[in-house]
Amino acid sequence: MSLDLIVLSIATLVGLYMAANIGANDLANAMGTSVGSGAITLKQAVLISIIANTLGAVLAGGYVTSTISKGMINPALLASDPTKLMLGMFAALISAGICVNLATYLALPVSTTHAIVGAVVGFGIISVGAGAVSWNKIIAIVISWVISPAAGACLAGGIYYFAEKKILSTKDPYEASEHYAPYLIFLVFLVLILSVIFKGLKNLHLEIGFFTTILLSFPIAAIAGLFGRGWLRWQVQRICELQPDRYANSLAECLFAQLQILTASYIAFAHGANDVANAIGPLAAIFSVVKTKAVALQVEVPFWMLFVGGIAVGGGLLVFGTRVMETIGKNITEITPTRGFCAQFGAATTILICSRLGLPVSTTHVLVGSVVGVGLMRGMGALDLRILKNIGLSWVVTLPFTMLLAMLFYKLLTYFLL
Amino acid sequence: MNMRLLLSSLFYKSPFENLQKHADKVKECAQLFQEAMVCHIGDDCKEYDLLTEQVARMESEADAIKRNIRNHLPRGILMPVDKFQFLQYLREQDKVLDELEEALFWLSFRPRGIPDEVANDIHELVEAVIPAIEKLPELVALATAYFRSKSNEQRTKMKSLIRDIRQHEREADLLERELKFKIFSTIKEALVVYHLIRLVEIVGNIADHAQNASDRMRAMIAQ
Repeated sequence: MSLDLIVLSIATLVGLYMAANIGANDLANAMGTSVGSGAITLKQAVLISIIANTLGAVLAGGYVTSTISKGMINPALLASDPTKLMLGMFAALISAGICVNLATYLALPVSTTHAIVGAVVGFGIISVGAGAVSWNKIIAIVISWVISPAAGACLAGGIYYFAEKKILSTKDPYEASEHYAPYLIFLVFLVLILSVIFKGLKNLHLEIGFFTTILLSFPIAAIAGLFGRGWLRWQVQRICELQPDRYANSLAECLFAQLQILTASYIAFAHGANDVANAIGPLAAIFSVVKTKAVALQVEVPFWMLFVGGIAVGGGLLVFGTRVMETIGKNITEITPTRGFCAQFGAATTILICSRLGLPVSTTHVLVGSVVGVGLMRGMGALDLRILKNIGLSWVVTLPFTMLLAMLFYKLLTYFLL
Repeated sequence: MNMRLLLSSLFYKSPFENLQKHADKVKECAQLFQEAMVCHIGDDCKEYDLLTEQVARMESEADAIKRNIRNHLPRGILMPVDKFQFLQYLREQDKVLDELEEALFWLSFRPRGIPDEVANDIHELVEAVIPAIEKLPELVALATAYFRSKSNEQRTKMKSLIRDIRQHEREADLLERELKFKIFSTIKEALVVYHLIRLVEIVGNIADHAQNASDRMRAMIAQ
């Protein structure tokens, strides 16, 4: 067997392992919010994740993937030696995998996204030199790690503020929630459709102009809102009115629990769009080198690879993430459907926007930011903000750590194999 | 804590759970106190010391709960209410207990120390104070539900409960003043007057602290 094939098969294994890890970590946290509020069962969470996450990866997962594999380092500088690029991406994948494993072992809130970014940068520095790394891009990415949880907090907090004022503390919360629900559904669908059309359809090789996009998305989202109203009425009759005591005797909360089915799919979709790239990006670069024997300036991530990545993430959730979700669900009973809705809406929207801008952010960190945002609006029982310190620490530590690790692996690989 | 359970380590145990336990203890003590007072005023009271002891034991249990709440609210815990106001509420609720205990001990220093002339009035004062305290657990339960649901209905209920407590305190205050007047005008012996006046003041304070507590709660739900 040739070196190419060995590297490709091991990289595929590590990539799948990373994907499964992302499923067990990030996706489990994202779905735990819905399970905790009682909006969906564990089985439903798994089903929704697998479908919506794969859809997100396939329909909206392009941008981040290209950022990971080519945006951060300039592949043109490696054009003379495609094998180096292949080994580098291989080293990056392995380092990120080790980092994530170590973090789990040491109980540190390290993001897989950050691990892979650090590793790719490390490879860039050691193979070509610091000049090969697009430092502007790196700075933008690092800033986005800090900004994205804050953005999630603002969005989630804002929506919660609105929900409390206009729905929860009115005379008839149920009537108010029924009144505003279609607008919320409209918003969710608008962001979803925009993110799919703006970039995802590129994966399917469809080109649609900016104005056509706007013209298309508003009516579709409006129709979704209208249909949503009918669907909600049906759900409320079918579920809420039969078990009136389920959500602390509040029909409004029960209605929001139904809406949370939507936001659960929404966040799983956003996760697919953003996170599948972490595992697949480097793999796509390796695949391209093996296939073309050259360094491509534009690595096109094959459609099927996004699909397989999405499935692997879903599989990771199914196999390793169910217990995580269960534990989270049990521990966060403080999350009511309204709060869960706001947190998920804020997080998913932020992630989709960041993903559209090509910024690989951590789903879990954004979600934590969104939950804190609801808390800052006095909407949560008691939040332990001390974990924010640990997250901040992980921001500072992960990048240098995986950078050095990737450098080490790259040196070892080139020493023995070339 | 790790990445896997990041979200669940973000959620801290709500201190309202323990506040409820504390309020329940206060209510129980108030009922024992009432029993002890009725017994003391009556002719032949054998259980008084036993009841006092029981109250003292419960007071120290409640103290442990109070300490638990305080010691487990470090900086960096984000709550739906101002932490300072929350701890002030706890302090006032705890003072209710301290005063209950104090009244029983004070009374035990002079066995059969309540003259027949004022026995009925003191009983009346005690009966006026108790309902204010008994409403505290209900208030805490409503608060817990309100901070979860943010429903206006619960807030209205809380406001009316707080109004009731204030009303009880006002009645108790009135009784306290009348009773002091009566003690000074009917009882001539200085020692007895001193003992009784101090007793009436302590019992009056119980209602004051209950009202202070409910005022803090009102501040917590201010919009």
